[in-house]
Amino acid sequence: MKLSNAIGLLPFAAALTAWAILPLYVDYPSYMLPPLPDVWTHLLEALADGTLAGHVANSLGRLALGFAVGTGIAIPLGIAIALNRHVADTLKPLLTFLQSIAGIAWVPLAIIWFGIGIGSVVFVIANTIFFATLYNTVIGVQAIPQALHRAVRSLGGKGLSLASVLILPGALVQLIVGFRTAMAYGWRALVAAEMIAGTNGLGYMTIEAVQWYRTETVLLGMIAIGLIWLVMDRLIFEPIERVTVRRWGIVQR
Amino acid sequence: MNSPKVRIAARDLRLEYRDEARGEHHLAVEKLSLDVRENEFLCVVGPSGCGKSTLISAIAGFLKPVAGELTLDGKRIEGPGADRGVVFQEYALLPWMTVLDNVALGPKLKGVPKTERHERARHYLAMANLSDAALKFPHELSGGMKQRTAVARTLANEPQVMLMDEPFAAIDAQTRMTLQEELLRIWSKSRITVLFVTHSVEEACFLGDRVAILTPGPGRVKEIVDVPIARDRRNWATLGADPEFARIRDYVLASVRGVDGKAA
Ligand SMILES: Nc1ncnc2c1ncn2[C@@H]1O[C@H](COP(=O)(O)OP(=O)(O)O)[C@@H](O)[C@H]1O
Ligand SMILES: [Mg+2]
Repeated sequence: MKLSNAIGLLPFAAALTAWAILPLYVDYPSYMLPPLPDVWTHLLEALADGTLAGHVANSLGRLALGFAVGTGIAIPLGIAIALNRHVADTLKPLLTFLQSIAGIAWVPLAIIWFGIGIGSVVFVIANTIFFATLYNTVIGVQAIPQALHRAVRSLGGKGLSLASVLILPGALVQLIVGFRTAMAYGWRALVAAEMIAGTNGLGYMTIEAVQWYRTETVLLGMIAIGLIWLVMDRLIFEPIERVTVRRWGIVQR
Repeated sequence: MNSPKVRIAARDLRLEYRDEARGEHHLAVEKLSLDVRENEFLCVVGPSGCGKSTLISAIAGFLKPVAGELTLDGKRIEGPGADRGVVFQEYALLPWMTVLDNVALGPKLKGVPKTERHERARHYLAMANLSDAALKFPHELSGGMKQRTAVARTLANEPQVMLMDEPFAAIDAQTRMTLQEELLRIWSKSRITVLFVTHSVEEACFLGDRVAILTPGPGRVKEIVDVPIARDRRNWATLGADPEFARIRDYVLASVRGVDGKAA
């Protein structure tokens, strides 16, 4: 591990230390902030009986499904909006209207339509990722320089070949840069949607624990949510950026 | 006398930019007539803003003439096509493709299989002295290498006409002289019709068989000057101190600047 990576662990270590020694100096009921060892024990239990793994798998599966549905609709629609003025003129006001109520605000209606459970949750995630991706696609396609359009067209590109050689990769540049944000929004929406409309998953696990005042489960859930995101960011999004936009010299860091 | 075959013919061309939203239009080129002959290297020179890029856009098929005629081999130009390759000042390489894939792009769009198009691309890369850069991405190249890649990409598509819009304008003076010599070396190996526009009189006279001088915008052809200097003498070491080259260059310069006494 490089020093610059190791240094990023310091704040975590500081927070854990503070958590561990706080009870020595301040008097508070343990249900408000259970001691660190209790949460650790609980983690081992939840790992041993497979409940944690089950919730994590459920949440990640929904994120993947919501991502597939959201981007699957957003990318073609975004390209159409970016390339065709009539499509843009027709849809932009509606999309701006919907943008303000994207994501979690759809939960009540989702419950009515899909009931409590996976359908509602996936709907809300897909909805959230759809909007983030849609705007990234439109910006990405519109940002393709005119000279590139002209170069590809005078090399013989048109229609589908133009789309596969220029439009999609051009949009991808912005999509990859916006990927992290889209997924971060999706992940947050997922946790919130599971809390309200879920029957399992990490969000459900934490909200359900509240009824029994199982604060260590709540904390465990929150840590898992953050930790999973951190790992996904390092293991998926960073490598994707490294072999694409950074390799192409479009994003420098 | 047997007159040479004309490939591109412009007759009383009028080119405008229209701003639909504001209901305005801007006249860029007016009453422009010009013949580009088969396999000649024709340079068009004129001050910036006189309509050089606009003319290239129209011939490339990106801009429809408002009036006049514009034909390739007698057929009206209706849109962009692979028969006219374009080299842009801003290189226009696809950043997500390697140099090799950029050069192989034209054949790819025509459906040429991968091994074959890479072979063809490598041939043109070798011609442009770029073999070592084949697997690099465009952002790893210098400006001069980018433009050589762009020229190789255009030639690898085997167009009938190559249109070049100030390709070396953004490149430092020393590199530019090398690129000009290299362009002529490559062109001597695959002779096609070239229309090269530039604001540099020196560049135009160095490269061209003929130099067409445009008036300040809206552009018209003011006059066409022959450059009767043998191709084997077209290198800067020879021409840098050549009195005939200097005479032609000074003549064109005076004409472009409007200090030759002729009406614009
Ligand atoms: N997209 C455009 N919209 C409106 N006017 C333009 C546009 N492009 C160029 N012009 C105008 O047309 C004239 C010719 O431009 P251009 O062909 O780019 O000149 P050159 O390439 O010789 O420098 C200039 O007056 C310029 O301002
Ligand atoms: Mg120009």
